[in-house]
Amino acid sequence: MLILHDLTPLPWWLAGAAIGAITLLLLWVTNQRLGISTGFENLCALALRAPYFQRAEITGSHAWRLPFLGGLFLGGVLSAATSGDWWPFWSLGMFDLTFGWGPAGKLPWMFVGGLFIGFGTRLAGGCTSGHGIFGISNLERASVESTLAFMAAGLVTTNLIYRVWAAS
Amino acid sequence: MSAPWLYLLFGTAFGWVLSRSGAADYDYVQGMFLLESFQLYGIIGGAVAVTAPGLWLLKRTGRTATGTPLRVTPKPRHPGNVLGGALFGIGWSLTGMCPGPILVNLGEGKVYALGALAGVLVGAGVFGVLYERLRLPLHLPALKLGTGDG
Repeated sequence: MLILHDLTPLPWWLAGAAIGAITLLLLWVTNQRLGISTGFENLCALALRAPYFQRAEITGSHAWRLPFLGGLFLGGVLSAATSGDWWPFWSLGMFDLTFGWGPAGKLPWMFVGGLFIGFGTRLAGGCTSGHGIFGISNLERASVESTLAFMAAGLVTTNLIYRVWAAS
Repeated sequence: MSAPWLYLLFGTAFGWVLSRSGAADYDYVQGMFLLESFQLYGIIGGAVAVTAPGLWLLKRTGRTATGTPLRVTPKPRHPGNVLGGALFGIGWSLTGMCPGPILVNLGEGKVYALGALAGVLVGAGVFGVLYERLRLPLHLPALKLGTGDG
């Protein structure tokens, strides 16, 4: 069951096939390689003048990455609004059951996690989409290595949180 | 370069699937890392199982739908792939979100995703500002400045 409105999720094979189809259509129709985390650099580039954010790959991709990111947000809005009332909420599933922290604990926790995601994906040159799905499908060594690294690190971290820290 | 509304549409479809499949759900992400839920392994594996043969076929034809030459640039390989990947994995576990689902969760109305979004922008910003200092020790590629159509 999903945290969102206690929905039953789509079957994995259907969701996987849909993501694959969107990835292929994006390439075939628009000639763009799927990649989400690079879009955060496009957002940074709107505010920061550092040379890193003014390189060709970023300045030349605002026109597609920014609306794509906007679409991800809109997809979440539509998904929530078509399955119940759209309303801001704080539920966090097993995190609530285990730690019972309120907003004042969740926001900084999420901020710290976000720092790791932002810095880490930029250093890695991609995330689950660009490395994990597109890069692996394209048999790129950088992507295979990066995906193994983030899966392993996630596995260790979650097990430390829920099987060591929460159990102590 | 296609029209912005087309990218908005692709993003919306992608976001909707992430939202309804568990890929943007804290509990399914933890279930994946605890090896208690197959759902997200199935989704990522299923996506690769569709993308890999399709990509092979597209590269063989070498053309997009409009007939322009297909462009698939492999990502550069360097020590940052593994080091950065490991940092990202920690963040994915802490928040239960990878980059796409941060925006999806925000759209769903999950207020705590604002914290993750702020963190991601600061983290990416710090990386960009420090890039020249990290580049040599980590063997990262040199910047290609200017206006391109990446």
